[in-house]
Amino acid sequence: MVVSLPLMSVTVLQVLWMVVALLLMFTGLSVVVLSLVWLERKALGRLQLRLGPTRTGPMGLMQPIADAVKLILKEDIIPNSSDRAIFWAAPVIVVLSAFMIWVTIPASEGLVLRNLELGLLYITAFAVMGILGLVLAGWGSANKYGVLGGLRSAAQLISYEIPVIMVVVAAGMLAGSLDLRVIVASQDQIPYALILPLGMVVFFIAGLAEVGRTPFDIYHAESEVVGGPFVEYSGAHWSVFFLAEYINTFAIAALVALLFLGGWSWPWDTVALAWLPSLPAWPWLGPLLSVVWFLFKVYAVILVVFWIRGTFPRLRIDQLMAFAWKAMVPLSFYSIVITAVYLYYDWPGWTLTLMSLAGLGIVGYIVYRRMTAPARRVAEVKARQAAQLAERRASSQAG
Amino acid sequence: MLNSVKGMMLTLASTFTGLRKPVTRQYPTVPTPVQPRFMGFPALTWDDGVGEPYCTGCMVCIRNCPTQCMSASMMDNPLNEEGKSSRRKIVDYFEINLNRCILCGICVEVCNFDAIVMSHEHEMSTYQRNGDRVDLPALLDIGKKYQVNTAWIPPTVLAKAKKEAEDAAKAAAAAEASSGETAAAGQEAT
Amino acid sequence: MLLNMGPQHPSTHGVFRMVLWVDGEKIVDVEPHIGYLHRGSEKLCEGEQYHQVITLFDRLDYVANFNNELVYCQAVEKLMGLDVPERAEYIRVILCELNRIASHLLYVGTIGLDAGAMTPTMFAFRGRERIQALFEAVSGARMMHNYFRIGGVKEDLPGNFEQMMGELLPLLREDVEESDRILTFNEIFLSRLKDVGTISAEDAVDFGFTGPCLRGCGIEYDVRRAQPYSIYDRFDFDIPVGLDGDCWDRHWVRVQEMYESLKIVDQALEQMPAGEVVSSLGRRLIRPPAGEVYVRAENPRGEIGVHLISNGTDRPYRLKIRPPSFCNLSAIKHLLRNSWIADSVVILGSLDIVLGEVDR
Repeated sequence: MVVSLPLMSVTVLQVLWMVVALLLMFTGLSVVVLSLVWLERKALGRLQLRLGPTRTGPMGLMQPIADAVKLILKEDIIPNSSDRAIFWAAPVIVVLSAFMIWVTIPASEGLVLRNLELGLLYITAFAVMGILGLVLAGWGSANKYGVLGGLRSAAQLISYEIPVIMVVVAAGMLAGSLDLRVIVASQDQIPYALILPLGMVVFFIAGLAEVGRTPFDIYHAESEVVGGPFVEYSGAHWSVFFLAEYINTFAIAALVALLFLGGWSWPWDTVALAWLPSLPAWPWLGPLLSVVWFLFKVYAVILVVFWIRGTFPRLRIDQLMAFAWKAMVPLSFYSIVITAVYLYYDWPGWTLTLMSLAGLGIVGYIVYRRMTAPARRVAEVKARQAAQLAERRASSQAG
Repeated sequence: MLNSVKGMMLTLASTFTGLRKPVTRQYPTVPTPVQPRFMGFPALTWDDGVGEPYCTGCMVCIRNCPTQCMSASMMDNPLNEEGKSSRRKIVDYFEINLNRCILCGICVEVCNFDAIVMSHEHEMSTYQRNGDRVDLPALLDIGKKYQVNTAWIPPTVLAKAKKEAEDAAKAAAAAEASSGETAAAGQEAT
Repeated sequence: MLLNMGPQHPSTHGVFRMVLWVDGEKIVDVEPHIGYLHRGSEKLCEGEQYHQVITLFDRLDYVANFNNELVYCQAVEKLMGLDVPERAEYIRVILCELNRIASHLLYVGTIGLDAGAMTPTMFAFRGRERIQALFEAVSGARMMHNYFRIGGVKEDLPGNFEQMMGELLPLLREDVEESDRILTFNEIFLSRLKDVGTISAEDAVDFGFTGPCLRGCGIEYDVRRAQPYSIYDRFDFDIPVGLDGDCWDRHWVRVQEMYESLKIVDQALEQMPAGEVVSSLGRRLIRPPAGEVYVRAENPRGEIGVHLISNGTDRPYRLKIRPPSFCNLSAIKHLLRNSWIADSVVILGSLDIVLGEVDR
C-alpha cells in the first residue's frame, strides 16, 4: 500500500541526511559534554586550590571517558518499590528535551540542523519539558527525598521559566525576529549585552536556575535532599541525567552567547570583513573561524558558571522563590517595557542601555539591602564588642 | 554583592598557580614524607651487635596495650648459653594484630629493652580481615627497615649519653666553681 | 510527611539521625536519635589503667584531641595533687589552641558544605592540614596523638619547633582570614544563616549550652576566663560574643575565636620557658588516692567536664564525661521546629556537633 502523504516529497536522501545529521549532533554534543565534565572538574579543582583530575591521561584529559565507562558498567539498580515505567521514562524525557533544543541552535551561519523561524519559541517550549522528567523521576523512584527534590524542581523551574521567556522576548523584539540567525546577524555592530545589559543579567541568572546550577541547585542539593530526583538512580540511568544537565548548561551558555554576546558575528565580522577578502583561497576559513569564535564565547560563559559554582553557597527554597517572583520577574517585565518604549520612540541605543542599567541598579540595590540587612546588625555587635573590651581594659587598669 | 564579589575574586586568584599554589600532593606516585616522630605500626628492633632481637618477651607491652592487640612468649636464649649474648631470655613468639592496634605508642614507652619502636610503616592494607596479623619475622623486618632508614639509636643509650653529658657539664661547672671559690662552695657542688 | 534524615545523610555530621515530620518544606516536629556511634567510652575507661585512658579521650571529640587529653590529665593531676612543669603547661596550651583553630576550621568547612558552598571546605582544610602536619611533628600522629601525660607531656618539643611555628603562624592567619573572607559576609551565606535557628539567652542557659553556641547568644561565658585552668590566666585574649543567638552569630563567634586563639599562641610562644616537661612522677604506675574530682575545660565545642572517681586502684572507678556537643544538641528539637528542611542542615551544622562525643 502506498501512503500518499505530503511527506512523500521528502526523498530518501533527505531522510538519510536527517539521520546522519542527528547522529552527528548527538556525537558532537556528547563530545561537548565530555569536555564540559573535564573542564568543570579541572576548573573547580583550580578554584579550590586543587589540581583536579591528573591521573587519566595528560592533565586528566581522559577522565570523562573513564567516568563514562565506569557509569555504564556500573550496576543499574532499580528500587523494588519504584514505579518502573515512570522510573524508566523519566531520564528519557529529560535527555530528549535537552537534545531537542539543540536541533535549532546554530553554531554558525550554516551549521544548524534545522533553522526555525520561531526558533526561540521552540527552544523555550522544549526547555520546559525537562521539568516533567524531573518530577516524574522524583515520583517514580518512590523516595521521599526524590519527591521533595522533584517538587522543588517543579516550583523552581516553572518560576524561572517566566523571566527567561520574557527576556528572550525582549531580545526578539530588538531583532524583530525569533530566528536565532537573524538575532545574531542583527548584532554584528553592537551586541545586545551592551544595549540591554539587564536582559543578559536576568537571562544568565534565570538560566543558572533553569539548569539547577549553584546557587540555585536546590532541587538536587547534596546536603539537603541528597541528589533529589536522582537519589535512586545509578549507573547508566544516572549518567543520562548527567548528560542532560550538561547539555542544558551548554545550551544556556550558548543562548547567552547567541542572544546577548553576538554569537559568531560580533566582533568577528567587522574584523573579518577588514582582512578576510585578502584570503580568497580558503573560502571555508570564514565559517570555521566563526564556529571557533562562537565556541570560545560559549566556553567563556560556562567558565563563569563554574566560577560561580566554586564560590557561592546555595539559597533556600523560599529565598529562591522570592528572588524569582520579586526580583527576576519584575525585572524581565521591565526589560520588555523599556525595549518597547525604545523601539516605539526610536530613541538612540544608549538610552536603552541607560534604562536597563538603571533598572538593574535599583533592583540590585534593593536585593543587596535586603540580603545584607542582617549584616548591618553585625556592625552593632562589633561596636558592642569594642565597647566591652574598652570597659574591661579600663576596669583592669583601674584595678 | 560586594562581599560576594570579594569571594569570587578570591576563588579566581586561586586559579592561577602564581598567586596561590595548589596544595594537592600526588600521593601514591609521589610519596608523602613523614615526620621523624611519626608513629606508624609498631615493630621489633634487631640487635645487630649480637644478631638477635632486643625483645626478651617480658610481656610489659602486652600488659600495657590498651587494645590487647599483641601476644608473645619467651624462651631461654641459646646465644646466652653460648656466651654470645647478655640476654638470658629471648622472645620466642610475637604477634601483633595491626588492625587492632591504635598506634598510641604506649608499648614503646613502657618497654625497658628498646625492643619495640613505632616504625614509619603505614601502607599495610590487605584484603583479608586478619591480613595484618604480623608475626615475629615480619615485625623484625619492619623494624630493621626502620632502624636503617632512621639510623636508629636505642633510646636507653641516648638517655645514658645525655645523662653523661649533663653530668659532665655539671661536674665541669662544679670544678670551675670550686677551683676559683672557697672550699664550702666546692662542697655544695659535690 | 515523615522524613528520615540520617544516619546515612551527608550533612548530619556523622551518624546522627533525625526523624522529621514535615509539612511540605516546613518542619513540624523532629525527633533526634543518637547512639549510632556509642562505643561505651565511659565504661571502657573503668577497665583501662590511668595512662591508657588518654587514648580513649583522643577518640571522644575526634577533631579536638588535645583539648580532650588536657581535661582528663588535669582531672587525674588534681586528684593526685600533682604539679605540672611550666614548660609542659605552655606546650599544652599552644597545642590546645592550635587544635581549637583546627577544629573551628573544620567547622567553617562543614558549615560551608551544609550551606552548599564547596570551596570554603578546601580553603579551611588547607589550614587544618598545616596544623596537623605540625601535630605530627610534635606528637607523631595527626589526630590520635596520645601526647599529653598525667603530669606533663610525653616528650619535649622537637628541636625545630620554633622555626616550624614561625612558618606556620603567618600562613595560618592567612588561611583563617581567607575562610573568613569567602564565607562570613557572603550575602547568600548571610541570608541562609542570619535569623535562622535563633535561641534566646535564657533558653540557651536552660538547655545547658556552652562554648560558641552560648556565646553566640550574647553571654560572655568561657571557662578559660570564668574559671581559669592550666595557665590561661596569663594570657590576654577577648571573648567574642554574638547578639541574636542565631546560626550566623555562632559562626561569627567561632571565626573570631580563631583570631583569639592565634593571639594566645603568640603570647604562649613568647613566654615559654625552658625546663622539664614531665613531672617527677616519671614512669611509675599511676595510682591516685581514693576520692572524686570534677574538672572542666573549654573545648572548641564548649565546656567539657570530667567527673572522676577513684578507689585507690590503678584504674578509675567511674569516669563521667560531660560532653559539650551532647548538651548543645539537646536543643535541636527547640531549634528545628517551624524551620525549613534546608535550615535543619544549617542549624545542625552551626551547633557543630561531633558524634564521637555525643554518643561516647
